[in-house]
Amino acid sequence: MSISIKQLFGRKPKSSSIAKQRLKLVITQDRLDVDDRVMTRLHHELAEVLAKYFEFSANSVKMNLKQEGNSYILVADFPYTKFHDLNVRQ
Amino acid sequence: MGKVIVVTSGKGGVGKTTSTANLGTALALLDKTVVVVDADVGLRNLDIVMGLESRIVYTSMDVIEKQCELSKALVRDRRVDGLMLLAASQKNNKDDIQPEQMKAICDKLRTTHDFVLIDSPAGIERGFSNASAGADEAIVVTTPDVSAIRDADRIIGLLQNARIEPINLVINRFSPQLVGNGSMMDQADVLDILNIDLIGIVPEDSEVITSTNRGIPLVYEDASAGAQAYMRIARRLTGQRIPIPDFEQKGLLNNIMNWFKKKK
Ligand SMILES: Nc1ncnc2c1ncn2[C@@H]1O[C@H](COP(=O)(O)OP(=O)(O)O)[C@@H](O)[C@H]1O
Ligand SMILES: [Mg+2]
Repeated sequence: MSISIKQLFGRKPKSSSIAKQRLKLVITQDRLDVDDRVMTRLHHELAEVLAKYFEFSANSVKMNLKQEGNSYILVADFPYTKFHDLNVRQ
Repeated sequence: MGKVIVVTSGKGGVGKTTSTANLGTALALLDKTVVVVDADVGLRNLDIVMGLESRIVYTSMDVIEKQCELSKALVRDRRVDGLMLLAASQKNNKDDIQPEQMKAICDKLRTTHDFVLIDSPAGIERGFSNASAGADEAIVVTTPDVSAIRDADRIIGLLQNARIEPINLVINRFSPQLVGNGSMMDQADVLDILNIDLIGIVPEDSEVITSTNRGIPLVYEDASAGAQAYMRIARRLTGQRIPIPDFEQKGLLNNIMNWFKKKK
C-alpha cells in the first residue's frame, strides 16, 4: 500500500497544476474551433470556384486535414455529377 | 535595415506598454537607434508611461493624413541618444487607420533605425492587424494566469498565420513566491502550454508602478529586478546570448515561510 505525502497531510492539489490542466484542455478546444472555422470558410470558397467547372451536390463534399509527420495534408473530395462545358456557356 | 517588432498580447493590462517603453529605452541605452510606436489609437498610453506626454505635437494620424513629415512627428527622448517616440492619435479610433498605412510607416522607420517597437492594443480585432501589419517579429507578453495565457495562444495563432517570425514570449509579473507555494504556474508550465520561445521573465516589481508614476522607465535605474530583467531581454534582442535566470531558486526561503503560514 502506498500513501503519498500529499494524502498523509490531506493537502489539496496545487492550484497551479489545476490551472495548467484546465488550460491545456481549453486551448486544445480553442485551436480546434479556429481550425474548424477556417475549414468551413475554405470549404465555401473552394465550392464557389469549383461550381464554375463542375456540378456536384453540396452534401457529398468531404474535407479533411491529415497530419503526416511534420506536415499537414488537405484532402478534399468533391464527387461531381457533371462537367460544365465552359465553351458552350460563353 | 532595422527590425520591426510588435509587442502584443490577447488580454489587456498584462504589460505591453510597460514592456515597449522599457525595451525601447534599454535598446537605446545599448547604443541602438530605436523608435517606439504607439499603435493604440484612441487609447494612447506609451507617451505618458515614457514621460513624453507634454512634448507630443504630431501623431501617426497626421503622418497618414500628410499633415506632417514622418521625421517631424517623431519626438526625441532627451534622456538617451537614439530614442524616438511616434505617438498615436487620441481623437481617432482604430478604424481610421488601415494596416497598409501602418506598414508604410514601419517600412520607412526601418530604413533609419535599428529597432522599431510597436505597442499594440489588446485584442484580436482591427487594432491588432494595424499594429502587426508592418512587423517582422513579435513579442507576446503574458502574465502567468489562465485568462492571459489562453488569450496569448489565440494571438500566437494569428501571428503564425500572418507569417510573423520569430514569436518570442515575455512572462510578466512573475512571482517566485507564488510559484514556490504552488499558486502560480512556473515558466515550464507556461512554455509547455504555449510552445513558443521564451525571451525573458519579468518579476512582479512595485518599482514598475513608481517608475510609471514618474514617467521615467525603470531601466534608467538599473538596481531593481524589473529593470535588470528588461535589460537582459534587450540584450537578447540584440543577439547576445544571456541565460534566463531561475527566479524560483530565490523562492526557497519564501517556500518555507509559506509552508508555515499555510499550517496556521
Ligand atoms: N512587472 C510588473 N510589476 C508590477 N506591475 C506591473 C508590471 N508590469 C506591468 N505592471 C502594471 O500593470 C498595469 C498594466 O500595464 P501596461 O503596461 O499598461 O499593460 P498593457 O499595455 O498590456 O495594457 C500598469 O499599472 C503597470 O504599472
Ligand atoms: Mg497598453
